[in-house]
Amino acid sequence: MPGSLRVSVDTGGTFTDVIAVDSDSGDLYAVKTASDREDPSRALVTGVEKVLGLAGRGFDDVSLLVHGSTTATNAVLEHEFDGIGLLVTQGFRHLIEIARQSVPDGYGNSFFWVKPPRLVPLHLVREVPERILYDGAVARELDEDAVVAAAEELVAEGVNRLAVCLLHSYANPDHERRIGELLAQRFPELFVSLSSVVLPEYREYERAMTTLLDVMVKPYCRTYLGNAEAELGRRAGPRPFLIMQSNGGVVTAKAAGERPVNMLLSGPAGGVLGAIEAARAAGISDIITLDVGGTSTDVALIEDLTVRLTSESVIESYPVKIPMIDIATVGTGGGSLAWVGPNQSLKVGPRSAGAVPGPIAYGRGGTEPTVTDAATVLNRFPASLVGGELVLDRDSARAAFEEFGRRFGLDADEVAAGVLEVAAAGQVAGIRQVSTSKGRDPAAYTLVAFGGAGPLLAAQVADFLGMTRVLVPPYPGNLSAFGLQVTDIKRDLVRTYVSPLEPRVADDLDVIWRELEEAGTAELRAEGVEDDDVEVIRGADARYVGEGYEVAVSVPAGLTGRAALDATIAAFHAEHHRIYGFSYDGKQDVEVVNLRVQAVGRLHRPPHRSRYEAAGAAAPAPTTRDVYWPGEGWRPCAIHDRAALAPGTSVAGPGVVEEYGATVVVPPGWQVTCDPAANLILTKG
Amino acid sequence: MATTVLGPIELEVITGTIRSAEVEIEAAVERAARSPMIRDQHDYRVGLYDARGRKLTGRSYGSLIEPVFEFFGDDIHPGDVFFWNDPYNSAGSCGHVPDLCTTVPIFHGDDRLLGFAQVFGHHDDVGGCVPGSLPVQVHDQWGEGLVVPPIKLYDRGVLNETAFRILERNSRLPEHLRGDIDSEIGACRLGARRLTELADRYGVDVLEGGFDAIIENCARTVRDELLPKIADGVYTFEDYVECDGFTRKLYAMRLTMTKTADRILLDFTGTDPEAEGPINWAIDYCEGRFVRKWMGPVLRCLADSPERAAEIDINEGILDVIDVVFPPKGTLVTPHFGRPTGLRFFILIRALGIFAGALAKATGGRMPADHETIRIWGLHSRDTEGKLSLFREVLGGGGPGRPWADGSDVVHIVPNSRNLPAEFSEQRYPVLVESLELRSDSAGAGEFRGGFGYQKKIRSLRSSTLLSNADRSELATYGVNGGKAGWPYGIEVARGDGSTESLPGMIDGVPIAPDDLVTVWTTGGGGWGDPLRRDPERVRYDVAVGLVTEDAARREYGVVVTRVQGKVEVDEVATSELRDTLRAGRGAVPMFDRGAYFESVKADGGLVRPDGWADPDDVHAVVDPATPAG
Repeated sequence: MPGSLRVSVDTGGTFTDVIAVDSDSGDLYAVKTASDREDPSRALVTGVEKVLGLAGRGFDDVSLLVHGSTTATNAVLEHEFDGIGLLVTQGFRHLIEIARQSVPDGYGNSFFWVKPPRLVPLHLVREVPERILYDGAVARELDEDAVVAAAEELVAEGVNRLAVCLLHSYANPDHERRIGELLAQRFPELFVSLSSVVLPEYREYERAMTTLLDVMVKPYCRTYLGNAEAELGRRAGPRPFLIMQSNGGVVTAKAAGERPVNMLLSGPAGGVLGAIEAARAAGISDIITLDVGGTSTDVALIEDLTVRLTSESVIESYPVKIPMIDIATVGTGGGSLAWVGPNQSLKVGPRSAGAVPGPIAYGRGGTEPTVTDAATVLNRFPASLVGGELVLDRDSARAAFEEFGRRFGLDADEVAAGVLEVAAAGQVAGIRQVSTSKGRDPAAYTLVAFGGAGPLLAAQVADFLGMTRVLVPPYPGNLSAFGLQVTDIKRDLVRTYVSPLEPRVADDLDVIWRELEEAGTAELRAEGVEDDDVEVIRGADARYVGEGYEVAVSVPAGLTGRAALDATIAAFHAEHHRIYGFSYDGKQDVEVVNLRVQAVGRLHRPPHRSRYEAAGAAAPAPTTRDVYWPGEGWRPCAIHDRAALAPGTSVAGPGVVEEYGATVVVPPGWQVTCDPAANLILTKG
Repeated sequence: MATTVLGPIELEVITGTIRSAEVEIEAAVERAARSPMIRDQHDYRVGLYDARGRKLTGRSYGSLIEPVFEFFGDDIHPGDVFFWNDPYNSAGSCGHVPDLCTTVPIFHGDDRLLGFAQVFGHHDDVGGCVPGSLPVQVHDQWGEGLVVPPIKLYDRGVLNETAFRILERNSRLPEHLRGDIDSEIGACRLGARRLTELADRYGVDVLEGGFDAIIENCARTVRDELLPKIADGVYTFEDYVECDGFTRKLYAMRLTMTKTADRILLDFTGTDPEAEGPINWAIDYCEGRFVRKWMGPVLRCLADSPERAAEIDINEGILDVIDVVFPPKGTLVTPHFGRPTGLRFFILIRALGIFAGALAKATGGRMPADHETIRIWGLHSRDTEGKLSLFREVLGGGGPGRPWADGSDVVHIVPNSRNLPAEFSEQRYPVLVESLELRSDSAGAGEFRGGFGYQKKIRSLRSSTLLSNADRSELATYGVNGGKAGWPYGIEVARGDGSTESLPGMIDGVPIAPDDLVTVWTTGGGGWGDPLRRDPERVRYDVAVGLVTEDAARREYGVVVTRVQGKVEVDEVATSELRDTLRAGRGAVPMFDRGAYFESVKADGGLVRPDGWADPDDVHAVVDPATPAG
């Protein structure tokens, strides 16, 4: 019999975080172990063993395993391109070389900009005689002999992964499917991804790139997920093993291996989901997440506790058009280095001290000042971190900032405060990407801060943006792993269907939506989800006729035919207005481009009970420490142990709240309250 | 953080906020605009300016604020939106009438003017005698479209509905026009908020001190980092537009660049007389502030690396480094009031090219070669209900060979411009894209060759009208330091009867029948450095993938390849011999190569220079590019 422990494993580039939650008692156990780049399954199994050890439980007690990972992204970032081939429609073999003819950044950069290496070099691209039109009609039959001959050549050239992207295959996948069959027969060892399976959406370059990324990470993901499932199965017997996807849902390990591109950019998803749960517990519905790690910061804007997906993500310069949580990433984190830039400017990041050597104050050989060192100099941190394991070398950090400050004619305190200000401003730019750039005023949202360094700068970031409320959830350093526990099984299905939204197409829409719903439900059923737990959500990407950009809208459940059509149009105008601040309701025609269905298999949530509650009474009384604040200088401040702040307790800043794995800074003018769900709520004024 | 003094921290935050605000304004324009020319081809510019109209942002060249001061003086209030597209009443900032410029003043509190936010974009249609408002054969400004001098489109928050109605009525695509203008105003207001927030945080005085520092830092970067790489002296260069829509001849833009320790003087004296057709560019206003800011970014090519070049923002500070001298009224860059300017983008790109050429002479050849990336071709037709279908593309061209890399293929000088996917074009327009490829051998040969141009084959599915607005269809992109010219643009129509018609680059009104096949070839980039020094392995790869023919490999690069069981291999011995022979058979290698058409026009006496103007091409390549020409 499966037990009551739900275990989640969040594999990052450096560390693997593991959390176990007892779904009966709500007790929570957290451990950290070093990641294994070559085979992430090894660290995964080690981490699970470790957390079970901490909980004093065995594999029998495990009911469910959820895994999130950045490893697929790392495979792309490390440019593991060898052996990838591509088949395209005749006449389009330069598709990837041409890309979209874009040069990034400034006007005239075409003079000096150098185009980056392509995912597939030109000598591994082959054309296939065939042609399908935009409405799915076959203009030229597929030349099957040519397919086999092309594949033979590519395999002889060392290709072991092959992407197939034919024109308009989203409208008619027959030719791609046939190629898939031929390849499976002739070259069973070859990993193959078909664009009509990976991303049945129009725009050939982006679809081809997404398909290439899919096939690129396929062997790696399948191998390590298979290893992990086998090892866990050997110890625990069959248990659900679910993988986080970039849309914030999970799928079985087998399904994840079929379309591994959906694991790309799933890394920050756990944190966003965890933040949503914390906000839900606090009774807050509109938030901006601030997930500050060692080298970078991820931010996302969430309304009505619902993640918003985007299809416009990129990894480096490579577009990934699959639906993923709309997240912006900026290159400042706790380990970001401060340095002197051109014209004697004070820069922070994007270079980072990383885990090794780390900040100066960690005493592991770091010599360049970081954000963490700046906070150390200003006494924002206690004398030691992570429960005393890491004693901070404040003197070395201060000496470094004295030296650094001399470059600007500032003393150590002033320049350290400046480094925090510049780091906060960098995170502000990220928040503007997801808020003001999309017509949202951040002042109307609560900032949910987590990750090791999130609570350190959150109030300062909020100040920049006119935000007056910050939420710091329990265990902010482990929120990503916790977030993996509070998700659902999700499958996104899409079909391109371009047509004006006129009454005559209402039936067509119904038919396509229904087909997608059936396919999605079947997929969930295959993954063991009971029909009672399935929910299907219809959606569409629509635009004003003539535009090249679509707005994604959801269509209310239970509507069909004309009612569904009208609801789609109404939702489109409203969403367009929400995003851009204007719409042309009644003035301009709307056309649909893609029809979508999200099939959701609801997973039951564990009861979430924080250990802070119990700890309240026994926790130490507040102490006092001098802390530096810009404009005010050094002043004695109250230092609280988080466990001592019982629900309902409220204290005024300036002050610092300390806990294992994070430090919450409450600047002058702010106050902090512990809510009934053990969240810390910082408010201004 | 209450501060009264500008220190490095405040300056960094102010600089970073203004830089990211520029990106934010761009995103806002792009997301809400309607014209494909803006959304996909990205043909728009944004800027933030201080209260004196000095440009603070630097990714984009932007327009100017001076027209607001000139036309409205102190009549600038919260809620105003200024608007114009008049090339002769905008201080030289608005080049042609499809560029509609929107400017919003930024106030702190009710009465303290902090600065301006501005967006201008290339709209699909503002009237005139040809759909798209870029007629080829037009004699004056009035035939090009509706011209609006600086007006208030909003006066203290109140829309000038009359003006808006006139604007809309004059466009063939009024829905696009309205959407574009809405998006631009919204984006300006977003940018405005960034400056007021900074004023709230640091105070107006600190913020304005920051503006001064941002502008000074630009000048300092250019002076300290880039100018030392240019040998002091006087250098001349010239380049040409090949046709004005009426007459095919060389229309020369001429430059004398005088470099001293801390300044550069650009003198356009010697530039040919104004043209009858729309290739004029009215920039001789307001001390040439627009063109100085337009040309300044070319200097970034001298940065230590392409990554560093991309970091350098060129703002108002460039005016402290670059001065300009114009010839009297009546030339291509000083046209008389009302001369047509629609296709001024050729001369505008030539301006960058002649600056780069002069710099090549002043740096021992260490500048990129030439590239030509702005041209428009298209098909327009009306459906049975009379609704206009306007399919227009700005197709990129091969990038320039540089001392550090081959040219990038099919790039567009406009950042983030995107081509139209075949799958989009076929859904939206009555066309079938037969193929989209890189054009073999189009790249100018060089130690670092140019980038390749396009070869696009597209079939029209209904009766339509073809337009082509392209220069460099005969003249080529020039090669630098021994590099060869790239191949020019071409466009032809294969008719249903089996005949083929080759069209000139500058034409509109060509009737196209259903199923006619149009082929468009765009320019290859000029090459950089002696092609006989190119690594034979790189030539072999280009041959193996079909981008360079075996014949061109021998002729241009002196590389002999053989095919062994389908594999292309370099014949080392034959290559070495051939390269020796080619080297022995040629004279001194010239610094510039402008291609065969130029040589033939010159030989036929078609190149007439002003008295006393020496041939600027009379310079040799520098074999060791680390050594300046002296």
